[in-house]
Amino acid sequence: MFLALREMRRAKVRFALLISAIGLLVLLILAQQAIQTGLITSFIGAIERQSAPVLVYSVDGQRTLQGSIITPPLEKKIRSTEGIATSGRIGQGTFTVKVNDEPEDSDAAIIGYTDPAVGAPDQLTTGRLPNRPGESVGSDNDFKLGDRVRVLGPGGPDQATETIEIVGLADDAQLQVTPTLFVEWPDYVASVKSANPDAGGILPSAIGAAPVPGLDPETLAGRINDASDEADALTRQAAADETPGVAEVSQSFQVIFLLFGMVVPLVTGLFFLIITLQKSGSLTLLRAIGAKSSLLVRSLMVQVVLVIGGGLAVGIALYTPLSQAQLGDIKLSFDVGAVLLWSVLLLVLGLLSAVVAARRVLAIDPIEATTGEGGR
Amino acid sequence: MRLALKELRRRPGRFGVATVILTLIAILLMFLGGLLDGLTAGNTGAIRAQQADLIVFSATSQDSLVRSRIDPEQRRKVEQVDGVKTVGEIGSVQLGGRIEGRGLRDLVPVVLFGYQAASKGLPAPPTSLGEAWADDSLEAEGIEQGDMILVGPARSPVKVTGFVSDTRYAGQSTLWASLETWRKVQNENRPDARVAPGVSQALVVQAPAANQAGLATRIDEATGGNTSSLTEDEAINALPGVSSQQSVFNQIIGLTVLIAIIVVALFFALITVERIGLYGVLKALGAGSGTLFAGVLLQAVIVTLIASVIGALAALAFAAAIPAGSIPFIATGPRIAGSTFFLLLAAVIGCAFSLRRVLKVDPATAIGGGQ
Repeated sequence: MFLALREMRRAKVRFALLISAIGLLVLLILAQQAIQTGLITSFIGAIERQSAPVLVYSVDGQRTLQGSIITPPLEKKIRSTEGIATSGRIGQGTFTVKVNDEPEDSDAAIIGYTDPAVGAPDQLTTGRLPNRPGESVGSDNDFKLGDRVRVLGPGGPDQATETIEIVGLADDAQLQVTPTLFVEWPDYVASVKSANPDAGGILPSAIGAAPVPGLDPETLAGRINDASDEADALTRQAAADETPGVAEVSQSFQVIFLLFGMVVPLVTGLFFLIITLQKSGSLTLLRAIGAKSSLLVRSLMVQVVLVIGGGLAVGIALYTPLSQAQLGDIKLSFDVGAVLLWSVLLLVLGLLSAVVAARRVLAIDPIEATTGEGGR
Repeated sequence: MRLALKELRRRPGRFGVATVILTLIAILLMFLGGLLDGLTAGNTGAIRAQQADLIVFSATSQDSLVRSRIDPEQRRKVEQVDGVKTVGEIGSVQLGGRIEGRGLRDLVPVVLFGYQAASKGLPAPPTSLGEAWADDSLEAEGIEQGDMILVGPARSPVKVTGFVSDTRYAGQSTLWASLETWRKVQNENRPDARVAPGVSQALVVQAPAANQAGLATRIDEATGGNTSSLTEDEAINALPGVSSQQSVFNQIIGLTVLIAIIVVALFFALITVERIGLYGVLKALGAGSGTLFAGVLLQAVIVTLIASVIGALAALAFAAAIPAGSIPFIATGPRIAGSTFFLLLAAVIGCAFSLRRVLKVDPATAIGGGQ
C-alpha cells in the first residue's frame, strides 16, 4: 500500500493522465447509457404510460399504432372476448402543428382515447386529464400547462380547424421521439379531419383493454388472439418492447458498450504492463533485498483499484450534471443502476487486465539484480 | 527499414496480439460501415430511384410523404414554372402483405407506391389496375412474377408483373403501381388517409441542369408558399431516422477508429519500451532517430494492412454469404477503402506517440553511460 501510494505520488502526471482517460471513458459509457435509455423511452414511453393493460393491434399493423387499423368487425370480436372488464378505442397519428403561434411548425403525435381507464396516461406530473373538448395532456419535456396547439392541414395555419390546450403533463410520454398529446376521441377525430379534409371514417388504431379481476393481462391477450386471427393482442410492456425499432436501437448500443468494455481493460492492462516493464530494474532490486512477490503484486493491484476508482469518480462527477440535460427531444436521466453496474464491471475487468502485468512481476528473478538485467 | 521488416519476419509472434486486435477492429469497422450502407440503402432506395432533380411536398407536411398532399391545382402551378421539364406524381402507403401459402399472422411489410413517370431506376408504371412491379427483395420472401399479394386489412389484391432493384423504403420492400392503383389501395385500407381523385403526396420534378439554380424557390413562390421543394439529397435526409441513424453509426465508427489509435499507441509504446536498450545500441552504431521511428511506423502500417485485408475479405465473404433480404449489409469498394484509410491513419497517429520515446534514447546507454 505504502509502495503503491508513494509511486503514485511521485509519478502524479502519469497516473493523473490515466485516471483522466478512464474518467472520460466512464463518462462516455454512462452518457451513451443515458442516451440509450432516453431514446427508447422517447420511442415507446407513451405506450408504457397509457393506462390499458392490454393493447390490441391488427395483425396488419405490424405492432405499431401508426400501421394498425381496427375494422368494425374486428373491434366487435375483440370487445366480445370473455374476460374483458373495460375496453376502449385508441387512435394515433402524427401531425404538423403550431405551438403558441411560434414561427416554426413542429411535429406532434396525437393519441386519442374513448375511455380514460384504457388509453389516457396512467400518471400525471401536473394538471389534470381532459374533461372538455379541445383539452389534452402533453409530454412534459415538450409542453407546458396552458400551451395552445393548432393542428395544421394542407391549407396551413389560417385554415387550421383544431386547437388543443394543454391541461395536464405526463412524464416519459413521448411516442416515436416526437412531442405527444393525449386527447379524448372526438379531438383525435377532429385532428385527423383537420390534417386531411379528404379523410373518411376514422377507425381506431388499437383497442385498449383491461381484464376482469382475477384474470392477468397475459391470459386476456391470449384469449383475444385466440378469438381472431386478425387481432394481435399484447400486454402493455410487451407492446412497448416489441415495437419495431426498439430491438435495433438496443443492439446498436450493445455494440458500443462492447467496444467500451474492451477498451477500458485494454488501456488499463497495457498501461500497467508498460510501467511494470519500465520499472523492472527497481522491482528486481526490491525482490533482491527481500520484498516478497505478493507484496509487489498487491501494490500493483492497489494501484489498479485506485486508478479505476479515480476514473469512475471523475466519470460519475462529470456525468451527474450531463444526465440532467435534454438532447433535442430526448430527455436524459441519472441511472443509478447503470452507474453501479458499470462501476463493478470496469473494476473487475481492470483487475483482470492487470493479471498480465502481475505475471511479469511474479516472473522477476532476484538474482538478476546482480547482472543488472532486471526481469525482462 | 530492413531491420523492421526482418523483425516482422523473424518474430511474427511478437506482433500477433496487435494484429489480432487490429483485425477484430478492422472487421468491426467494415461490418459497421457495411451495415450503415445497407440500412441507408434500404431506407432511401425509393427516393433514389426517382432520379429527381426536385421533390415537391406540401408546405405543412414537414417534408413527410405520408402527411403531404398535392392537389391538381398545385401540380398545374408547378408545371408552369420556368425551367421545369417534367412533373410526375407519387404517393405511398405502408401495409402488411399476405402471401399465399404463409400463415395467417405471417405478413410481409410492404410499401405500395403509386407513380407516374419512368426514371433510370424505374420502368413506366404498369397500366392495368391492381398490377405492380415488386422490389427484388421480395423474391427472398418467395414471391415470383405473376404472384398475387393481398395488402392491408381490406386484402386489396396486387399482382406482381416483374421486379425492380434497389427501391426499398423505410427498410421495407416496395411495390410500384399506377397512381390509380395506389389511390384505390390507400382508400380501401386507410380511410383516415383517404385521397381525393387527382391528389397525390408529392411531385417528382425533372429539369435541365441549366435551369436548376433557384428552381426550388421559384416553385415554392409559384404555389404561394404552399409547397416545400427539396433536392433528392435533402428529401433523403428528411426521411425519418435516416440522419439520426447515420449519426449514431458514424459515432460508433469514430469511436472504433479512436480505439484503434489507442491500441496502436499502447502496443507500439510497449514494443518501444522493450527495445530501448536495442535502440541505444543502434544509435551508438550511427542509426538516426528518424530511421528508427520509420521502422516502427513501417511495422505499424504493415500490421494494419494485414488486419485491413483480413477485415475486407471477411466483409466481402459476409456480404456474399447472407441471404438476400435478411441482414441489410453491403460491402462496397469505397467503404472498404475508406475503412482501410482510417485504420492506417490510426496506425500513424498511434505510432506518433512512440516518437518521443525513440528521440529520447541516449546512445550512451549502450555502453553503460546511462547507469
